[in-house]
Amino acid sequence: GRGGMAGGRRVIVEPHKHEGVFIARGKEDALVTRNLVPGEAVYGEKRIGVEVGEEKVEYRAWNPFRSKLAAAILGGVDNIHMKPGSRVLYLGAASGTTVSHVSDIVGPEGLVYAVEFSHRSGRDLINVAKKRTNIIPIIEDARHPHKYRMLVGMVDTIFADVAQPDQARIVAINAHHFLKTGGFIVISIKANCIDSTAEAEAVFAGEVNKLRSEKMKPKEQITLEPYERDHAVVVAQYRPPAKK
Amino acid sequence: LPQILHVLFEHASGYALFRIKEFEEIGLLQPEVEESVKDLSRFRSVVQLAAFSPFKSGTNALDNMNSISEGLVHEDLHLFLETNVPKSSKKQKSLLGVGDQKLAGVISETLSVSCQHSGVIPEIFRGIRTHFHHLVKGLTELSAGKAQLGLGHSYSRAKVKFNVNRSDNMII
Repeated sequence: GRGGMAGGRRVIVEPHKHEGVFIARGKEDALVTRNLVPGEAVYGEKRIGVEVGEEKVEYRAWNPFRSKLAAAILGGVDNIHMKPGSRVLYLGAASGTTVSHVSDIVGPEGLVYAVEFSHRSGRDLINVAKKRTNIIPIIEDARHPHKYRMLVGMVDTIFADVAQPDQARIVAINAHHFLKTGGFIVISIKANCIDSTAEAEAVFAGEVNKLRSEKMKPKEQITLEPYERDHAVVVAQYRPPAKK
Repeated sequence: LPQILHVLFEHASGYALFRIKEFEEIGLLQPEVEESVKDLSRFRSVVQLAAFSPFKSGTNALDNMNSISEGLVHEDLHLFLETNVPKSSKKQKSLLGVGDQKLAGVISETLSVSCQHSGVIPEIFRGIRTHFHHLVKGLTELSAGKAQLGLGHSYSRAKVKFNVNRSDNMII
């Protein structure tokens, strides 16, 4: 629909501290990204048009209850390591809803390699990628990066939302193939996908240790309350430079 | 016996063969490669393009990627390796670095080269992946990305269409 944010003209859009992310200040504040394909919604999200002088700019609302990356941003994560021009390997792309916002953030100079194994979600992902030419859709199992090695270049950041018990290993083998030295990993961890009997905090600590053993140095960890229960996002650096 | 090492790099735009500079002990190569990866000119002093064969069309690229993802040697790849990889002889041993174990096995069975996929090889691949568009003449970062984009779409569309266990393919 159009003009969901009541009184379109009164909405002011301000840059967020993360480059490529914005906040729309209207009746209620909303997290938004600048629409790479103006005029089109991807999954029925609200669009907000703003006139900047002569130019009309369109933004898309980003719902933290539907996107863990949005939840992490509103939860105050220090750095998402994605900005205009970034190359991102996105593991667990699903239908491409969050991927579309990452595509907005990295913009026409950036690239998103979006890996999804499920064919049903994959169809939606391919359709999203048809209109957004900075998304390279890869319908393949993220456990086997050698199967898609022809499609992926070196990336700045890996974002992972795979919800699998062996996700730390999945992220690690992809990092060894595709993540540049000193690049970053942003990983969403759902405690009961790893171990449904243990305390969430213990599960997060266990996953962080697994990352450490694979040359990934944890930088920050936040929980996704109040948007998700027993979820954490961990940011780590791959092969960090040695301290002098 | 002197050894000569090449590596096979598969990219959406085609097959590339790189020659690794002469070395005495393969173990000594690892730190040198790791250090040189960050710097193009240093990397070039260790790794040089020996041959590149672009795919003839989008269909041809997809055919080849389907083989590569299953660890099989496509006839194009067979021809490329046979033409460009030196054979092992009494005077020198020819080694080929390959991106996955299964493909390495098939290649060493069909061609007289010993293949290697571990040790320093993954590190060399990281370097090639970083600098690929600088190492192949006529390729740019943009055109390399466009090749990945085109092949990503055709590979993924085919996957979704030709799903053998159609449990996930609900027709509504």
